Amino acid sequence: MFGKFKLSYLLYPLLILLSMASIEAFAHGVDDSTRNFLQNNTGVQVLPFIYIGAKHMVTGYDHLLFLVGVLFFLRSSRDVLLYVSMFTIGHSLTLMGGVLANIQVNAYLIDAIIGLSVVYKGFDNLGGFKHFFGKQPNPKKAVLIFGLFHGFGLATKIQEFELPSQGLATNLLSFNIGVEIGQFLALAFILLAINFWRQFESFNRFAKATNTALMCGGFMLVGMQLTGYFVS
Amino acid sequence: MESNKTSRSLTKATILSFLVAIITLVLFILPAEYNIDPTGIGEKLGLTVFNDEASTPSAQQYSDGEQDSVILTVPAGEGIEYKLDMKQFQKATYEWTTDGAELFVDLHGEPKGDTTGYFESYAIATVNEMKGSFTVPFDGSHGWYWKNTTNQDISIQLIFNGDYVIEGLK
Repeated sequence: MFGKFKLSYLLYPLLILLSMASIEAFAHGVDDSTRNFLQNNTGVQVLPFIYIGAKHMVTGYDHLLFLVGVLFFLRSSRDVLLYVSMFTIGHSLTLMGGVLANIQVNAYLIDAIIGLSVVYKGFDNLGGFKHFFGKQPNPKKAVLIFGLFHGFGLATKIQEFELPSQGLATNLLSFNIGVEIGQFLALAFILLAINFWRQFESFNRFAKATNTALMCGGFMLVGMQLTGYFVS
Repeated sequence: MESNKTSRSLTKATILSFLVAIITLVLFILPAEYNIDPTGIGEKLGLTVFNDEASTPSAQQYSDGEQDSVILTVPAGEGIEYKLDMKQFQKATYEWTTDGAELFVDLHGEPKGDTTGYFESYAIATVNEMKGSFTVPFDGSHGWYWKNTTNQDISIQLIFNGDYVIEGLK
C-alpha cells in the first residue's frame, strides 16, 4: 500500500519538473543555435528541418500541456488514435497552408489562443461545460479546431526566419514530419505516465487537482503571451 | 444540492487556477520574460537578469564597433542575397572570401519603400574575394547578390562592420 502511494506521488513532481525544464530551455520559439542555422542556410535541408520540428514539439510545453489534457480521460487506444489524428490533421493543415500561403498571424496572439486551448481542456476535463452549460462542446471538433490554431503557432515560428523560398515546401514538409515524430515521442511518454498513474487510486483523487493545475498553466500561457503582445 | 456543490467546486477550481496564474505571472513570469516587475520581487530574486541577456542579440545587430561575420552557402547554379538595413550616409566596411571558386557579385542598394524594383549597384565583379567599404546614398536595404554559375556549392565567409541592422538572407 505504501509502495503504491509513494510511486504514484513520484510522477507528480516529475511531470512538473519536465515542464519546468522546457520552460527554462525555451523562452519563446527557437533557441540560438537553431536560429543561427535557419538564418545561415539555404536550399533543401531535410534532416535538419525534421530535427528542428521534432525538437520544437518535444520541448514545446504549450502543445504538450494541451495533449496531456486531451489524453487525460481517454482510455481506449482507438480514442487516443482518433483524437491525436484530429489534432495532427488540424495543425498540419495550418502549418503547411499558413507558411505556403504566407498568412501572417501575430505569434503572441496565436500563442495566447494556444494557452486558451489548455484552459478549455482543463475546464472540460473538470466537467465544467457539461455542468454550467448543460452540454459539452464536441470534444473531437474542439481538438481539430484548436489543432488548427496550434498549427498557426508552429507556422509563426517558421515564418519568423523569412526562409528563402528556394526549397521552402520541402523544408516545411520536413519540419512537419519532424513535428509528428516529436509528437509521437512526447505522446509515448505522456501516455505511459498517465496510464501508469491511472492504475492507482490517486489518479482519480488527483484528477481534479491535475486539471485545475492544467487550467492554471493555461492561464499563465495566456497572460504571458497577451503581455508579450501589448509590450512588443 | 449536489448540483450546487459541483458549481461551487468548479467555480473554486477556476478562480483558484486563475489567481495562482496571475500571482505567478506578476511575481515571476513577467519580470523574467518582459522585465515588468511591479512588486520588485522578480528583481530581488534575480529573475530580471534574463532581460539583460535577451536584449543582447538585438543590440548586437546594431553597430557597436564590433565586426560581424557570417558563413553563407551559394548553392550550385543559384543566387543568394545578404542584406543590411542602413540609413542614408551610413557606412559599412566589408571583406569576403569564397572557398576558392569565383562568384558573380553585385553589391547594391534598394531604396526603402520602393516597389518598382529599382536598385543601384555599387560594384559588380566576378571574383573569389573582395574588400572595401560603401556609404549608402539613401535609406534602404543594401548588400550583396552572389550568383554561383558552377555546378558545385560555394561557401563564402563575409566579415563586415559599420552602421547597420542586419537583415540577413533574402
